[in-house]
Amino acid sequence: MKEHLEQCMQAIVDGDSPKAAELAKASLDKGYPVLEVIEKGFARGIREVGRLWEEGELFLPELVIGAEAMKKAMEVLRPALEAGEAAEKLGRVVIGTIEGDIHDIGKTLVATMLSANGFEVTDLGADVPVKRFVDEAEKTGADWIAVSALLTTTMPGQKRVIDELASRSLRGKIRVMVGGAPCSKEWAAEIGADGYAGDAVAAVALARQKTA
Amino acid sequence: MKPFLESLGERVLLFDGGMGSMLIAAGLGEGEAPDVWNITRPDVLMGVHKAFLDAGADVIQTNTFGATPVKLAASSRGAPPDAAKVNEAGATLARTAIREFGFGDRWLAGDIGPTGEFFPPMGVLTEARAFEAFRIQAEALENGVVDIFLIETMYDIREAVAAVRAVREVSVKPVVCELTMERKKRGYFTIVGDTPARAAEELPAAGADMIGANCSMASAEMIDLASEMRALTKTPLLFQPNAGRPEMVSGKAVYRQTPEEFAAEVMKIVEAGAEAVGGCCGTTPEFIRALRAKLDAWR
Ligand code: B1M
Repeated sequence: MKEHLEQCMQAIVDGDSPKAAELAKASLDKGYPVLEVIEKGFARGIREVGRLWEEGELFLPELVIGAEAMKKAMEVLRPALEAGEAAEKLGRVVIGTIEGDIHDIGKTLVATMLSANGFEVTDLGADVPVKRFVDEAEKTGADWIAVSALLTTTMPGQKRVIDELASRSLRGKIRVMVGGAPCSKEWAAEIGADGYAGDAVAAVALARQKTA
Repeated sequence: MKPFLESLGERVLLFDGGMGSMLIAAGLGEGEAPDVWNITRPDVLMGVHKAFLDAGADVIQTNTFGATPVKLAASSRGAPPDAAKVNEAGATLARTAIREFGFGDRWLAGDIGPTGEFFPPMGVLTEARAFEAFRIQAEALENGVVDIFLIETMYDIREAVAAVRAVREVSVKPVVCELTMERKKRGYFTIVGDTPARAAEELPAAGADMIGANCSMASAEMIDLASEMRALTKTPLLFQPNAGRPEMVSGKAVYRQTPEEFAAEVMKIVEAGAEAVGGCCGTTPEFIRALRAKLDAWR
């Protein structure tokens, strides 16, 4: 399995979409734990691509090709994640990546895990305007708004979602969770979010724990 | 007036500074296409051109950085303005400024920036679409009567080459092409990974008379790039750095470098062998004036 995870990682670093899809399928065939394959294989690969990019070893084309390979693998793995879907709904979540930010791989993974664990999830996609999060949460009677941000420049948008809730007197009724690589517990506390999750599993735990 | 290319060999030429920051200071709103001001606010543009001419720029640039039809469509909320009109107006009013304010010995550069779209794998831009957008812009600038063309802030050599070829198709005037690069561990690169070596080879081959770099870097960071490019090519070189690194102050980009510091560092780019220098983001007429003084005192 260790070797398999290495191959998964390498397929993303190489930006090899067909290989990534093939390895994802092989993971299912071999019955490997899906979440582990994602986190210790493919996601490690895309983070390595990000690191190499930051180092100036890779450039935008390689970054995009790597992200595409990652998405191909996720497409294959998603049904398996959702298969465990619980019958009883634990709560409703509206999720999206904040406006100005098009990173959606992590957000989609969180959305998939939440729905696999019994939450009813409305995924608004990426580059979502502040108002739209709140509109949609009101419309669906959501318990949570989950706002993903991957850029330090788009993080302030997470606070604006909270401000928007406050201006509609919905604070306390609808909770806000924030996540994404540059976010932290401290940031969540600073902007008055109801919680921070460092990964998809933590996001599920947080939603479970706090949804009354 | 002497032909531009001839003068290049005789003295170091001074290009003007940042247009965008000047227009923002004059009240350009966020999300407003600056190029449209050529039609709606010619008074402001006349003022900016005059300020750079007064400061001593040998070459001023038209306010047409984002005026390909592709970019205009992306930056307009409603129906996009007619690209040909925006470009021709930009050239005509700058030409009027040169004549009216008595600067007949200066050159006018028709400014061309990237389409804002990406080639694959990042986007779906094609050579044909880029070429056509640049051809429309170049033709209108030619009609407004510019002396040279300045293609700048290019981050993908494929797009830069398309722009050079498009200008070549409609005009025999000199073409300058600048890429925008950053310094990485292994050297200088554009965001898609294009290098100074590729620029030195492919841009002149496509028809560029002068190449160089602008934006992204502060003056100090550009000195080594100038040396590196000088070693790579005999093609004349132009460098237009920013006024230092922008700092975000309450949501606005602020440039902290002083005109004196900027001018002192740009002189090192001149020492490294550049045929022409100027400024990019944040360089007001004061920066160009400081550089003019240093250039005049040099040799
Ligand atoms: C609300 O509740 C929650 C709870 C938990 C949540 C959550 C929400 N959201 C996420 N989580 C958490 O759970 C997930 C699963 O465990 C985790 O999600 P992650 O998203 O962290 O993890 C994913 C599974 C895998 N990770 C990823 O998918 C992101 C990988 C990296 C390499 C990355 C990628 C792939 C991309 N990028 Co960009 N990219 C980088 C990234 C580097 C990195 N180390 O993160 C980062 C984020 N990018 C960066 C930059 C600068 C940019 N990117 C850009 C573009 C892109 C691509 C399009 C090429 C591509 C995105 C493709 C896509 N469709 O998503 C540009 C911005 C575009 C925009 N406006 O958004 C551009 C500006 C580059 C440019 N010059 O154009 C950097 C940000 C720097 C900063 N401090 O702000 C960056 C850190 C890279 C770097 N090392 O410098 C947790 O964070």
